[in-house]
Amino acid sequence: MSFDAIVIGSGMSGGWAAKELTERGLKTLVIERGRHLEHGSDYTDSLSPWELDNYGQVSEAEIEADYEVQSKCYAFSSATKHLWAKDSDHPYTTPEGKPFYWIRGYHLGGRSIMWARQSYRLSEMDFESNAKDGYGTDWPIRYPDMAKWYDHVETFAGISGSLEGLSQLPDGKYLPPMALTPVEAEFGRKMEAAFPTRKLITGRCAHLTAPTPEHEALGRGACQYRSLCERGCSYGAYFSSLSATLPAAKNTGNLTIVTDAIAHSIIYDPKTGKASGVRVIDQNTKVGTVYDAKLIFLCASTFGTAQILLNSTSEAFPTGLANRSDMVGRNVTDHISGMGAAGTYPGFEDIYHHGRRPNGFYVPRYRNVTEPGDGYTRGFGFQGRGLRSSWQRGIGDVGTGAALKTKLRKPGPWSLNLNGFGEMLPRPENRVTLHPTRTDKWGIPILHIDVSLGPQDRKMIDQASADAKAMLELAGCTDITQTRHYGGLGLGIHEMGTARMGKDPKTSVLNGYNQAHDVPNLFVTDGSCMASSGCQNPSLTYMAMSARGAHHAVEFLRAGKA
Amino acid sequence: MVDSPRLDGAALDRRALLRSAILLVGGTMAGLPDIAFATAPTKAFFALAERAVLDSVCAALIPRTDTPGALEAGVPAFIDAMMTNWAAPKTAERFRSVLTSIDNAARTETGKGYAALTATERDARLAAFDAAAFAAGDRDWRRFKGLAMTGYYLSEPGATQELRYELVPGVWEPAVKMGPDTRAWAG
Repeated sequence: MSFDAIVIGSGMSGGWAAKELTERGLKTLVIERGRHLEHGSDYTDSLSPWELDNYGQVSEAEIEADYEVQSKCYAFSSATKHLWAKDSDHPYTTPEGKPFYWIRGYHLGGRSIMWARQSYRLSEMDFESNAKDGYGTDWPIRYPDMAKWYDHVETFAGISGSLEGLSQLPDGKYLPPMALTPVEAEFGRKMEAAFPTRKLITGRCAHLTAPTPEHEALGRGACQYRSLCERGCSYGAYFSSLSATLPAAKNTGNLTIVTDAIAHSIIYDPKTGKASGVRVIDQNTKVGTVYDAKLIFLCASTFGTAQILLNSTSEAFPTGLANRSDMVGRNVTDHISGMGAAGTYPGFEDIYHHGRRPNGFYVPRYRNVTEPGDGYTRGFGFQGRGLRSSWQRGIGDVGTGAALKTKLRKPGPWSLNLNGFGEMLPRPENRVTLHPTRTDKWGIPILHIDVSLGPQDRKMIDQASADAKAMLELAGCTDITQTRHYGGLGLGIHEMGTARMGKDPKTSVLNGYNQAHDVPNLFVTDGSCMASSGCQNPSLTYMAMSARGAHHAVEFLRAGKA
Repeated sequence: MVDSPRLDGAALDRRALLRSAILLVGGTMAGLPDIAFATAPTKAFFALAERAVLDSVCAALIPRTDTPGALEAGVPAFIDAMMTNWAAPKTAERFRSVLTSIDNAARTETGKGYAALTATERDARLAAFDAAAFAAGDRDWRRFKGLAMTGYYLSEPGATQELRYELVPGVWEPAVKMGPDTRAWAG
């Protein structure tokens, strides 16, 4: 079967590629390896806590057998279990002593269903980082190349946030911001008074605080402050492929979706010097099919994309399609985690909150912006919340009987936490490769993920953790617990870099238009394309990359340059 | 006094067990909740005598006050089902051992099992056990307590009568002045 364009993957990036390509008139096939997921009816967001299987707990036996890795994710529960890829069906290997928690889900929409919805732009500083400190290779683009695409995707997706005028975190097109609690606001003031160049802002999140007519035309409604988001939202109130981009693509009449279709490899035609199609294996029947297209967008997620490229070998590309640089699979980063602190915040005893806000506050990067970093060149931001504790505080404390009940009937003290997300340095030795012998159920070589923190990364963890504790202390918090560990690679759930953009085809896979240097009709716009990661949550950037890449791809196609 | 039992075998067994266990500790069947489990275990984990201890411990931990307590909220049945539905065998044995510890301590010191003591004695014993267990860093008790409290505060009576729960709050109000009876949100 033949199409104008094939998009491999229906997640954050694939959904956007599908929308932008179909809206430009291309007959587009989206290939999704997982099953169909129906927006609304396949979600579990109508269930109250007592209606959940085991009140939300997944059985220990099932975790051990099938979800050993996925269960490490904060969003894993009996309400969302079906949205996480079964580790038993999707194994991968890591070297001894170098764990990597590869957290993902395989279904229509991918991780755009379960993501945390934090949406921040990269800044000029971020695009310059590689050139400045010499790690990685220089981005072929700068912030001005992306700015109007960020505008475009933010407007369509619907991002709630406030304008702050920070150079390290550019302002965007925002719907009304979610309010801070008084504790968060006061903590922010204390922090800013002690550190005048640090700032606390409300989180920028992909939630419709005030839907526009465009949002409503897609059937999306306002956020109801339920914080059940990772189950899927029947109101369409947060951005996902299912709530927004795929419906928009469908509206053009140019979209075809095939699910349960695992991309095995991309076919390269040496006569044309272009990719001609995709080999696909049905995940249930194992029947193989080939789909042809003039243009291919590879949006299978950072590791998925690398796996497909590495598995697409030919005489012209013995080490994998578009891999003349040998950079495919290399330069893996995740956002550094395992650094933060939490404590009890004094005061505000007679104030409570109402509603479950699906957002928190954000402290944008200040290290190596306005304050030096100790032993590292880049930086980190903090996500955090200041909310009152509830009945759960009784579990870890002495108390029984009527007295316990009486105590837990009232809200507990205010609790403030800071959770760091840091920029890991890109290094070529951090890489994914195809396992030399092991294959999955469909005969595709599984991945071997060999990634570890470097000395600078560890220094960042040390200082971020110390900073978090210091800020809570100066704010008057008590019972402070500090987190500082090096064992969380993968748990940022922001793995990137395996097909990086760059100026030089010898050291990068993609050019400044997300076009493969070696294969002009192949575009990659998911996390693989990132030459560096910044410390900002990356999905918004993947959206902008996909929209921008699709725009240029269609221009190139029409001009005979793809 | 009791609704006629459902003809479904599993429900019948569970309810029969519940009935006898509750009656053993002088409880009432009024307001017994219909516990919705996606996969209801077909057989009880705890033996009858253990269930009696479980019921008594749960009742002492979270008693009925002006709102339903653990028994009324179905916590013992929840814990029993979790031993089959959730716990690995080793974990379930740790839970069993908590009940055994409490029961044995009662027998050693009074000659009677925990469930056979008066309500006042049971309350006092549990409070002492809880305090000692925390002092000793007893993880088994902490996990048991956590599951019992989860079973209560995420149950419908616990979440909506003792505390408050709204599936669809519809609003975010970051700073509301509390009144004399403002309850915590269960979730």
